[in-house]
Amino acid sequence: MPAGLRKGQIHRRAKVPLEPYWFMAPAVIMLATVYLGPMIYAVMTSTTHWVLTEPGSETIRAGLENYKDVLGAASFWQAVKITLLYTLTSVTLSLTLGTLLALLLDNELHFASFFRSIMLIPMVITPAVIAIFWKLLYEQEQGVLNSLLVAMGFAKVAWLGLDHAFFAMVIMDSWQNTPFFMLVILAGLQSVDSNLMDAARVDGANVFQRFRYVVLPHLVPYMLIAAAFRGIATMNDFDKIWLLTQGGPGEATTTITVYTYKIAFSSFDMGRTTAIAMIFVVIVLVASAPLLRHLFRTARRPA
Amino acid sequence: MTFTLSHSAKRLLLSLLCLCLGIVYLFPYAWMVLTGFRSAVDTLSLRFIFEPTLEGFRSVLGDSIFRAYMLNSIIVSTLTTVVVLTVAAPAAFALAHLPIRGTGFLLFVLVVRMVPGIAILIPIYLVASRLGVLDTHGVLIVLYATFNLPFAIWLLRGFFCDVPGEIREAAIIDGCSELQVFLKIMLPLTSSGIVATGVFVFIAAWNEFLFALALTNSFASTAPLAMVAFRSEYGVQWPSIGAAAFIISTPVVLFAVVMQRFLVRGLTMGSVKG
Repeated sequence: MPAGLRKGQIHRRAKVPLEPYWFMAPAVIMLATVYLGPMIYAVMTSTTHWVLTEPGSETIRAGLENYKDVLGAASFWQAVKITLLYTLTSVTLSLTLGTLLALLLDNELHFASFFRSIMLIPMVITPAVIAIFWKLLYEQEQGVLNSLLVAMGFAKVAWLGLDHAFFAMVIMDSWQNTPFFMLVILAGLQSVDSNLMDAARVDGANVFQRFRYVVLPHLVPYMLIAAAFRGIATMNDFDKIWLLTQGGPGEATTTITVYTYKIAFSSFDMGRTTAIAMIFVVIVLVASAPLLRHLFRTARRPA
Repeated sequence: MTFTLSHSAKRLLLSLLCLCLGIVYLFPYAWMVLTGFRSAVDTLSLRFIFEPTLEGFRSVLGDSIFRAYMLNSIIVSTLTTVVVLTVAAPAAFALAHLPIRGTGFLLFVLVVRMVPGIAILIPIYLVASRLGVLDTHGVLIVLYATFNLPFAIWLLRGFFCDVPGEIREAAIIDGCSELQVFLKIMLPLTSSGIVATGVFVFIAAWNEFLFALALTNSFASTAPLAMVAFRSEYGVQWPSIGAAAFIISTPVVLFAVVMQRFLVRGLTMGSVKG
């Protein structure tokens, strides 16, 4: 038996192992041509004065002018601010609600698995569909939310008006993503060491102390990873926002993605648009660096 | 006695609480589905009791544009899934079992996934228009397949890692090539993981909006775009919109409920495992 194993190892070392790379070649080629290619092209485009409606303008060099223009535009920083606020509030809200639901579901319940299945629904529904039916709910004159408010004796709210559109967008996104946090945190809860809980109980820790000193520290990594994942996805959100508000009213819900899209298909200024996009890439990569580091460490560990 | 009674009473109460929360939670979606069954006259009334009608469904299904967009979605999502699995599975197998320095590639693959779609939309739009492939199924399939590769490789690698390496070594000693090991041993052993990954990819392709919006015009447009088309075409015809929304979301909702266990595993894998 050991002889056989050794033979296999010698065999492997003796031959130049090219085969593994053949298995990866199609994936590498696809990612390089369809992803890296356009990225490099975008970097090049961002240093030109290319406007689609002006033939020949793609050859006009611009150096870093586009970047200077974008970074000097108040509307760009407004979009950055809205993106970060949107991401922060939406992730915080769905993390909080998701944790509460997970704590509830961690009890022995009837039809717990049924509950878990139906909670998956919001996560997978087509975002374009989500935006449309939230628009229906937010309808100002006869929408169901306002009808409920009136029935309870409150005044109608202009959900998609200037004052509330931002929160309407946050509520819609949190609604969709609370179940994601619930499921990840539930997975965390179910791996809490029961010996530790028993020990804490014997030591006289009450329910809140047990949560604060035993459960919560165990959950923190789960919460951070889930928040990082959702945070990055939320920053990239486009379809739900576009269909709910088109970035309006005014610039109230214009995130960087919406801003980029608007500039691209209204000014046709490719240089400027790609400069915005590249700055956005840097923002996203910086924001996701801690997550990447963690995942890299996990991947390195022999599985 | 009293203890057990109160314990099961507590369980029942918590279960009921959960059920109520579930109903409240799904109310927005339920409301949209109900809208699809209303008549145009009482669309925006608050009444839960109403005479259901299939008017909305009839007008949507009778619409040739909607049917064409649905068909496009089925074609694009199915072929995307096939391409992703064909390309990702061998790569994931290599990263999990073959002597290869792969962690660097895995990181690269993840970084690629973090890049915002909007960032490469413009160059892709320009290249696609030069190649004359705007508004074709092919351009969407190639793009969706590439976007979903990183996640699929990451997910599948986890499933391949679950297969003990000794099985591969034994097969190699018996004279199998790596390709035979992959096709005859690894694929059957990871079939459930492959199906789960396929479902993920299908849902992602089915739901994609930005690239379909920017790169298609009408011939290759997909179902989510029908929502936009309907809104302008019918104005405030909410029953039609409700019916369309229900029809478009039903495939992914069914997938989610049927594949519940796999989806939860897929979501939490890579993110919290290890």
